[in-house]
Amino acid sequence: MKNTARPYMSSFLLLVGALLLSVAVGSVFIPPITLFRLFINGVAPAARPLAEDTATLSTILFSLRLPRTALVAMTGAALAGSGTAYQGLFRNPLADPYLIGVASGAGLGAVLAMSANWPYTSLGMLGVPLAAFLGAVLTVAAVYQLARVRRTIPTTNLILAGVAVSSFATAITSFLMINSTGEMRRALVWLLGGSTMTGWQPVVALLPYITLGLGTLVTMGHALNVLQFGDEQAQQLGLPVQRVRVTIILAASLTTAAAVSFSGVIGFVGLIVPHLVRLVWSSDYRHMLPLSMISGAGLLLIADVLARVVMAPQELPVGIITALAGAPFFLWVLRRAKQQHFW
Amino acid sequence: MKRLTFYFVLLTTLSLLLAACSPAAPAAAPTPTTVPTAALLTFTDGLKRTVTLPAPAARIISLAPSNTEILFAIGAAAQVIGRDDFSDYPAEAKDLPDIGGSNGKYDLEKIASLKPDLVIASELNTADQVKALEDLKITVYYLSNPPDLEGMFANLITVGELSGHKAQAATLVDTLRQRVKAVQDKVSGVANRPTIFYELDATDPSKPYTAGPTTFIDQLIQISGGVNIAGSLSTAWPQISLEEILVKNPDMILLGDAAYGNSPAQVKQRAGWTGLKAVKDNNIQVFDDNLVSRPGPRLVDGLEILAKLIHPEVFK
Repeated sequence: MKNTARPYMSSFLLLVGALLLSVAVGSVFIPPITLFRLFINGVAPAARPLAEDTATLSTILFSLRLPRTALVAMTGAALAGSGTAYQGLFRNPLADPYLIGVASGAGLGAVLAMSANWPYTSLGMLGVPLAAFLGAVLTVAAVYQLARVRRTIPTTNLILAGVAVSSFATAITSFLMINSTGEMRRALVWLLGGSTMTGWQPVVALLPYITLGLGTLVTMGHALNVLQFGDEQAQQLGLPVQRVRVTIILAASLTTAAAVSFSGVIGFVGLIVPHLVRLVWSSDYRHMLPLSMISGAGLLLIADVLARVVMAPQELPVGIITALAGAPFFLWVLRRAKQQHFW
Repeated sequence: MKRLTFYFVLLTTLSLLLAACSPAAPAAAPTPTTVPTAALLTFTDGLKRTVTLPAPAARIISLAPSNTEILFAIGAAAQVIGRDDFSDYPAEAKDLPDIGGSNGKYDLEKIASLKPDLVIASELNTADQVKALEDLKITVYYLSNPPDLEGMFANLITVGELSGHKAQAATLVDTLRQRVKAVQDKVSGVANRPTIFYELDATDPSKPYTAGPTTFIDQLIQISGGVNIAGSLSTAWPQISLEEILVKNPDMILLGDAAYGNSPAQVKQRAGWTGLKAVKDNNIQVFDDNLVSRPGPRLVDGLEILAKLIHPEVFK
């Protein structure tokens, strides 16, 4: 990478554009001028109160669109960041954030929690996402313990244990759903598109995990670069391989688990964005990690806007868009890339 | 590792606290509620929430087909200003603005822009969705699924109170009760109790979905003087094996899934179904599932049609 500034500029512009688009587009049209006025009013409330019509628009903007935009951006960054870290850690182009069981664990946790009758309180509302989060973290912990050979965790063991535990958890989830006497729909809705919570609460709940997780991952760029030589080489080069590994798994799992607990399992972002960044800009993990996070947020926001408008007033699960639009787009970039061996 | 566990627990606790304390919508300051001169209408809904209305609701959005049907049946049609994707009855309901819902998500922006003074939710909705609407300062009443016909009647009265049509709702309930009683009177004298298989989905004809105990389908078949062969199973919406159907050998098959392309002719061609008594007797009937799957006043229409199908001899 000759010029470091350009990729950052481009991905940042993508993110800003996506943020604006996500705030501007919705089923209710808000003219740009009104949007701008509402913003000014939101930051520094004017002396005179808003007209009633504008008040509704203000609610739509500040209680629906902005928190949703923030949540989607955080989720995109979390998935793309963890995906990059996993691809580097496992030295496997097929690795994605769900490789070692986060998604199936979260699904099991959510479906388990839905069988309980949560009281209608703020904490009760968090029951399902919290259970999804715990399910994800516990599943990864189980996979980790099962794959451990004394003090090391061989990559193959980790991936195989991940696949086995995932299938096991998915089977229990399906069984619970088929056996449920009540409303199976809620579980299906969660598995397709995550929680139906809106407002700032999910954003606030996620913020600490995502900041800590992604913050940790950003610092692992150099370690991931060294790891590309292989574990033994890396060890000889002075890298504490096992510690790096535990840190990355912990940080990536925490981030992904947090994202999944509210947004559900969104496929493809965590797999494709790292490759896009590698193809277009750089394969240096010190840059790949932040670039993936920024463009992951931007791309998921664009997918979410599409999910909102394609069949309005119906909303599609964003996962459909990420795969439907993401796959051809990725193939196009892949064909255009002149490098023979980008991996 | 111990230290990591400690940080993890700390983080979880912290973020939980943060989330629990965070204001729902920081941008919108709580507006002082105007104190109405008239007495407030106070209700307790299906989520044990207290719902207050200053006056009967005049701009209502329905989030479920059953709620829409109830509102139209009790004479509140003019007050309904929006409906979900699935609300297709009565036909006039389809002209109302559609606020989504077909894959579990509702268009909250559109709901807010319609400025409803009441949204009637159902068990199709999650508590999160109720909370989301509440955060938008919209009054929501969560109407639980009734356990039986009497519960459905109670729901009609409740919606009548919410919309200011209590008298009409009470009249409707009286009529419905009489119609149920008429069916009960007619079938009570009949000795035979035909066995029924009610088909919900036969995508896999070797193990179709059916309606088990506690469902309205099961209850209405019983009131109609029939026996649901899935009534003794353990779950409400079970997949029943063809072997079990063959053993129970029902007198009649009701196709609740006719809207998805199943027909008596198609049933006769299914492998393994030809030996069934109902198939040999040609007693396979098409049935409109919407009449028994939506907990609204049309359940009684469904009951009357069921009774006529099961005991045609007393309905001449």
